[in-house]
Amino acid sequence: MNPVSDIMKLNRHIATLIFAVVIFLLPLFIKNPYYLSILVFIGIYSITTMGLNLLMGYTGQISLGHAAFFGIGAYTSGILTVYYHVPIIVAFIAALVLTALVAYLIGVPSLRLKGHYLAMATLAFGEIVNIFLNAAVDLTGGPSGFGEIPRIQIGSLVLDSDMKYYYFVWIVFIIIFILINNLINSRVGRALRSIHGSELAATAMGVNAAQLKVQVFILSALVASVSGSLYVHFVTFISPTTCNIMFSILLVMMVVVGGMANIWGCILGAALLTILPEYLRVFEDYDVIVYGFILLFIIMFLPGGLSQGFAMAYSTIRRGRSKA
Amino acid sequence: MSDIILESLNIRKGFGGVVALDNLTFLIARNAITAIIGPNGAGKTTLLNVVSGMHAPDRGTIFLNQKTISGLKPHEITRCGLARTFQTAQIFGNMTVLENVMVGRHVRTRAGILSSALRLPRMRREEPVTGERARFYLEMVGLQDIADKPAASIPIGSQRLLEIARALATEPEILLLDEPAAGLNTQETRQLGTLIRTIQEMGITVVIVEHDMELVMDISDEIIVLNYGKRIAEGKPVEIQTNQEVIDVYLGKEE
Repeated sequence: MNPVSDIMKLNRHIATLIFAVVIFLLPLFIKNPYYLSILVFIGIYSITTMGLNLLMGYTGQISLGHAAFFGIGAYTSGILTVYYHVPIIVAFIAALVLTALVAYLIGVPSLRLKGHYLAMATLAFGEIVNIFLNAAVDLTGGPSGFGEIPRIQIGSLVLDSDMKYYYFVWIVFIIIFILINNLINSRVGRALRSIHGSELAATAMGVNAAQLKVQVFILSALVASVSGSLYVHFVTFISPTTCNIMFSILLVMMVVVGGMANIWGCILGAALLTILPEYLRVFEDYDVIVYGFILLFIIMFLPGGLSQGFAMAYSTIRRGRSKA
Repeated sequence: MSDIILESLNIRKGFGGVVALDNLTFLIARNAITAIIGPNGAGKTTLLNVVSGMHAPDRGTIFLNQKTISGLKPHEITRCGLARTFQTAQIFGNMTVLENVMVGRHVRTRAGILSSALRLPRMRREEPVTGERARFYLEMVGLQDIADKPAASIPIGSQRLLEIARALATEPEILLLDEPAAGLNTQETRQLGTLIRTIQEMGITVVIVEHDMELVMDISDEIIVLNYGKRIAEGKPVEIQTNQEVIDVYLGKEE
């Protein structure tokens, strides 16, 4: 084996380990419980974004309907635990099965489309799910949603504090992170990126692009569903506005701002777009404008997203050091 | 094994009113270098697209090793042992040079989503072999020094070689090259000729669509001439050079 790729492989595992340690220690430095809940949300959205990045960043297939899969996860978990008193783990698995089924039925026809057409198809799908959630009042509580969704219980441990939920969410995050990181650095990951590079050439290399695109669509929908379930048992309330078209677009923004085809980007994108609105409140009525300008600035000057910015800063520092 | 690797029987392919391939029948000899030439619009690229499964023929059958491949999808045909390159280089610009070639190994490896995500033994067994084989083919085309560069950043000449390395990585029995010399200078073209001979020595059949007549006459064992989707001549380079119909097609008929 060649030494360079060995070092890079080692780096990948070390980076994950360092990140896990940081995540583990972070709550010790946070005194304000409000910040802790923000970190829980960042964890949840990082998971959704990671799945969407697999589809968008790596495979090059856009989805403007991913909020719907988040919603399917959230609503299935919520409805089954509240109205049918199903154990949370069973509800969780049921949500995954339903998501996989819906993603398959939507993915097979729509992934034959490319570019704008795929965007329109997934956008329409997201809207249909949202309209259903609003209209099926008996099942979903309609526009006002429903609450009193139970907290997650593992054995005798009830995740009733933000601190406990923080660790739970981020452990789930790290597990999914490791799995996806393995996937993108593998035969399948290369095949996904090759579809992004040139679908024509990918098929000529023996990649079954049509099948693989559907599989990765389902996979990324499942990840969104997991994050939806995590969300609903944390907030303990759900309504259709949580998973509307704006949320789909926010998820796409998180992928782009974080950095397409960069697995660390999902955390950066989710973190920035979760924290930013909180800090921009000082601008009062003008916060949306400032928010827009910041996003515009990032897209214009860092087309590779924040992860590219970090990489550039890192190499500048290293170059500076080796000169000195 | 038969001496014929690829056989096309009465292939027809039309686009709207234009007949690109008109009842085309031909045989490709095993382990030979066969060139397909003809004026622009003769149907050469369409022929490669139909053989490699990118377009389905309207009529006719194509056999690879006596097995029908017409109607199969491109990725299935690649699995049968046919690889190709493209007229406008279709490299994966978002990946490194080495990774491009590693994609070529896709068809000879099996690790799926589950075994990749969980790093099961199958994936861990395959991965080093994939890297090794990819490096072998990169070295063969002489791109080993730029293995870790982003593929989008390399010059067109290298991109063409990269496409060949990537196609070789699928371990084909037959390799179709669509204008591999386009955009290459004289020296690069000469090196390309040497490379194609090396590929032949590995036991791989080569079919090349090319406009560079010097290259074609130099390396081909057999030449097929197409015009308006029909085969108008076939033979050794010397025979083609003296064939009156071919000369007429290329230079225009004297009145």
